[in-house]
Amino acid sequence: MTWAVRFEDVSKRYRGGGARYASLRHDLSALIRRLPERLRGVRAAPRGPLALDEVSFEVRDGESFAIIGPNGAGKTTALKIISRITYPTGGRARVRGRVGALIEVGSGVHPELTARENIWLYGQILGMSKAEVRRRFDEIVEFAELGHVLDTPVKMYSSGMQLRLGFSIASHLDPDVFVVDEALAVGDAGFQAKCVERMTKLVGEGRSLLFVSHNLSAVEAICERGIFLLDGRVEAEGDIRHVLVSYTNWVDEGERRRKGAAGAVSGRGLTIEQVTVHGEDGDERYVFSTGEPLEVRLHLSAEQTIRSPWFSIGISDGRPGALILCSMLEKGQAFDIAEGRHTVSCRLAPLPLGPRTYELWMSVREAVGAADLVDWSCVGSIRIKMPDEAAGPGGVTAPWMYGPVRVEHGWSLDEG
Amino acid sequence: MANRGTAELTIDAGRRAGLLQGLRELWWFRTLVLAFAERDVRVKYKQAVLGFAWAVLQPLGFLAVFSLFFGRVARISGDGVPYSAFALSALVPWLFLQTAVMQGAQSLLTDAGLVRKVYFPREVPVLGAVLSAGLDFVIAFGLLLALGPALGMHLSLMTALAIPLWLALALLASGVALAVGALNVYYRDFRYALPFLIQLWMFGSPVVYPLSAVPAGWRPYYVTLNPAAGLLDGFRHVTALGSLPDWNVTAVAVAVSALVALLGYWLFKRIEPGFADAI
Repeated sequence: MTWAVRFEDVSKRYRGGGARYASLRHDLSALIRRLPERLRGVRAAPRGPLALDEVSFEVRDGESFAIIGPNGAGKTTALKIISRITYPTGGRARVRGRVGALIEVGSGVHPELTARENIWLYGQILGMSKAEVRRRFDEIVEFAELGHVLDTPVKMYSSGMQLRLGFSIASHLDPDVFVVDEALAVGDAGFQAKCVERMTKLVGEGRSLLFVSHNLSAVEAICERGIFLLDGRVEAEGDIRHVLVSYTNWVDEGERRRKGAAGAVSGRGLTIEQVTVHGEDGDERYVFSTGEPLEVRLHLSAEQTIRSPWFSIGISDGRPGALILCSMLEKGQAFDIAEGRHTVSCRLAPLPLGPRTYELWMSVREAVGAADLVDWSCVGSIRIKMPDEAAGPGGVTAPWMYGPVRVEHGWSLDEG
Repeated sequence: MANRGTAELTIDAGRRAGLLQGLRELWWFRTLVLAFAERDVRVKYKQAVLGFAWAVLQPLGFLAVFSLFFGRVARISGDGVPYSAFALSALVPWLFLQTAVMQGAQSLLTDAGLVRKVYFPREVPVLGAVLSAGLDFVIAFGLLLALGPALGMHLSLMTALAIPLWLALALLASGVALAVGALNVYYRDFRYALPFLIQLWMFGSPVVYPLSAVPAGWRPYYVTLNPAAGLLDGFRHVTALGSLPDWNVTAVAVAVSALVALLGYWLFKRIEPGFADAI
């Protein structure tokens, strides 16, 4: 199988930070200041943010390929390099065939012109001949569903209508490589479905698709392979499931870190200094698979001897109430805690939890009077990661498929 | 057009298209230049209430002012024809040069949305803007042909030479517009400096005064440094004065215009790869 797009160690560094526009005065003074260095052959070290850092990947001929990642990871920069809008500062990119790019909403439609005039102009900008535009004109109008406002200036259109026009033109110019960026986010549900259909059809006809989107279920439905870009580097590549799993894990991990930053919790007579979570082997970690046992350790310091306090630990999926509650009260267990530092541990059997981030809650109660020594409070979080072998359509991007509590199950159909 | 078929394209870091390669690609995109010119004309006259009348009102307005101040008050010589005929014959090509350079230099910024999102050779909108100024010129030239006899111009078959002279002028305008347009992307200073510089250029050109007003000793330097001078003077010769232009002056002007066009295009192509990042 041959490739349609190839990135070979592509780097892109944007010029300078600071002032948005270069000014002649600034550049001239900088030139004069650096003149002695330049004469000695010293070149200024490159500055400015690195949007892509030696990125390599390959889109095969006729394949649908996704680039996913958080904002600012370099996705759009990669697409802009493929469509020759911007140039790499290192490495090289290779493209075979005609590229049809739809980057950002309403790219290229002129506000003063009508839809009709825009189709003519934009079609030609994208590389169609007049004859081609004429041949596809009705199809473009019909797809965009703009027949009734064909002779209205585009500035009167809503952003969704502008998107429809832009997508419709770009997807009808018979590109060999079709590049779509974020554009679908603006259309209504009906049009989004239509776009997905159109892209699937293009891929079915043997064209290559390069798709950037935060709509992960669309990515999973359309694309076969992809890369996960993070800070300009390829974090994961290959089969789309694998890439999506790696991305959703990264997103969940970020969420866990945000939540897990809880500090010490002080109560009456004792302070919970730290709560740590450990795996079966005793190593401290916060990421587990479904069905793994774990141990929660409460590191505390007591100001005086506390007689048989009751500890409780809860696990919550963010909704009110705890999914799992483990209490000493239930076990009828109790320890006397002398003044000083101690660690109270609770071992939990294999947890039947689905993939997502969970909060860890706890409280401490007095043996007599049952008043709270430490109020019920969130003290950290853990994450159950996606199974690597997610199966079925939408298996990765539809976390609702995995209820918070998982049990083994099987389906059957009986006659009658 | 470009990107057709399964041609392979390599986008290399530090790649700079050669001039020939650039010109070949521009040839592929030639219909797009027309499309941009057509759009510029549509947009311009759609927004303006008076529409195409502007193309006539502008030269007429300047003509009235020039005739009054330079003809009546300052009593500048009309080289043997009435001053208004003398002034109009250079005003029409000068206004083309002015409009073409101003619009061409600004066109990349006007189309920043496209430059950031779609690929095409970036000189296309600049040349389209120059071409759309050509339409204004055609209208103004029609005005000159209509008013000429009444103002005292010596129109004849020789007037047809105005066409090749206009082509040379368009070449000069393209070169200047490309250079200034490219720098304009990086340095917005040019946006403010340009109207001022163009005013200076006009007074440095034989628009309100005849070329013969320049001392004979300076004239060779004058027409070399300012290629517009020779072209405007030639234009005046074949329309108002009814005589052939000075061939030496014209040859120098055409050669320098071609050089300016080449240098402008070279500069433009050299810094073109960074446009989308800077605009």
